Amino acid sequence: MSEIRLAVMPTAGTAGSGEAVVNKLVARKLGFHYGDTQALRDVSIDIPERRVTALIGPSGCGKSTLLRVFNRIYAIYPKQVASGEAMLDGENILGPKYPLSRLRSKVGMVFQKPVPFPMSIYENVAYAIRHHESLPRAQMDERVEEALQQAALWTEVKDKLKRSALGLSGGQQQRLCIARAIALRPEVLLLDEPTSALDPIATGRIEQLVADLKARYTIVIVTHNMQQAARCSDFTGFMYLGELIEHGATDKMFTNPGKQQTEDYITGRFG
Amino acid sequence: MSGESNLQRWRALKNQIALVMSGAAALFGLFWLAWILWTTFSRGIGAINWDLFTQMTPPPNEVGGLANAFVGSAIMCLMAIGIGAPIGIAAGTYLAEYANFRKIGSTIRFVNDILLSAPSIVLGLFVYTLVVATTGQFSAIAGSIALAFIVLPVVVRTTDDMLRLVPSQMREAALSLGVPQWKVTVQILYRGALGGIVTGVLLALARISGETAPLLFTAFSSQYWSLDITQPMANVPVVVFQYAASPYESWQALAWAGAFVLTMFVLLLGIVARLILLRNRIAHE
Repeated sequence: MSEIRLAVMPTAGTAGSGEAVVNKLVARKLGFHYGDTQALRDVSIDIPERRVTALIGPSGCGKSTLLRVFNRIYAIYPKQVASGEAMLDGENILGPKYPLSRLRSKVGMVFQKPVPFPMSIYENVAYAIRHHESLPRAQMDERVEEALQQAALWTEVKDKLKRSALGLSGGQQQRLCIARAIALRPEVLLLDEPTSALDPIATGRIEQLVADLKARYTIVIVTHNMQQAARCSDFTGFMYLGELIEHGATDKMFTNPGKQQTEDYITGRFG
Repeated sequence: MSGESNLQRWRALKNQIALVMSGAAALFGLFWLAWILWTTFSRGIGAINWDLFTQMTPPPNEVGGLANAFVGSAIMCLMAIGIGAPIGIAAGTYLAEYANFRKIGSTIRFVNDILLSAPSIVLGLFVYTLVVATTGQFSAIAGSIALAFIVLPVVVRTTDDMLRLVPSQMREAALSLGVPQWKVTVQILYRGALGGIVTGVLLALARISGETAPLLFTAFSSQYWSLDITQPMANVPVVVFQYAASPYESWQALAWAGAFVLTMFVLLLGIVARLILLRNRIAHE
């Protein structure tokens, strides 16, 4: 775990490129309820390690909900309940014994709207590290720099680390949120429509970032933008009305989907 | 075509009528406010002098000031804030962060709103039976407790409101980093809501600094310099009340001066609170 720099490993873009694929996250018969409303039914999906998996589907299909199960962020709200199994490295994270703090330090999340904390840029990144580890000043500086480097934000902010993060542009704020999540050196990164509030240039930078980061992290990205899913993912899952309709290699999903519904959605016939 | 333009003319007329009526209503309210301010100012400004802040409350027809009353008011208001604000902030935090989605949350909010509009004389009588009657004497501490009951619901309400204004994505983002909820609340959400919470405390201070009724039955008043909080203590509102109703001109002048200083203090607090809120809003945008 030493010297992690801007490690841009040009990994093969598509799945099945030689090395054996290990499943990092596995969901089995996953269900989810918001009070009386069922949002997920019987979802079973394998999320391979160090690959980008995109979840697509029309609004309200449950793709964000599925994402929110993987680090149990839904547990803040008393009426939201998950059933079935969700496994991280073979351990059921829905079990009451799995510590939330450990789960969330392993599974980072970035949200649709960039939400920098009302503190300095440096503190935004250092904040969570400080909770999980106690590092001497110099090492903390390194960790913050490393995270900002990986999030491709370092050169833009290195001279104003002490300034409020609220002064950054939307795209910079979102990269800061990514830096904040990867500063904990998670294993999985969940991105919930990370570019829907950004302009095309900022979106391009985030997509490039996703391509760079997959050398190191397992990434699950929820997106409304099918081009985005096609551009930056290795696997794609199509969801509809709370069910996972189809899941497979992105190439195949976009060129030769197995189900009619998938094809209809991808070709823009509904949704 | 002509029907349409008739309709439009009628609508424009109705718009004019509504505009004039609401403007007149606003002016009506402002008129009395301006009159009150002007009277306080013109009668009070003449009695403002150094003695006002250095001399004790005098016997009738002698020279004096309100020093003991100002100090007494300051002590009791600060004690009331010291008691009411921490409890209020803690309760508001509970409502916004822990009980927000629960039935108990809305029940407590409802009860708090009732307390918010409870007549202050009722709170005064309550503390009279609770503290004064049991200890057998009027005291500054009883006065502070009565004022704290006014501070409490104001601070609960503003803390609750301000914390709930912090976007839920902020909570989710912080919690998704594996940081426990209490830390997220104290280290992140309080920062986001700080301006609003401070404003709530300042508004509560402004509210209690002019309260007379709760102090009449609790701290009562005193002619003397006293810092003993177990004894009756002079305070501006009750002194103003007593002096304004007296037949002595020197006392009436002091009452006007006290009222003027009190009004300026409340005005200043209001402006400071506004500025903090404004700065906070700009920072949020």
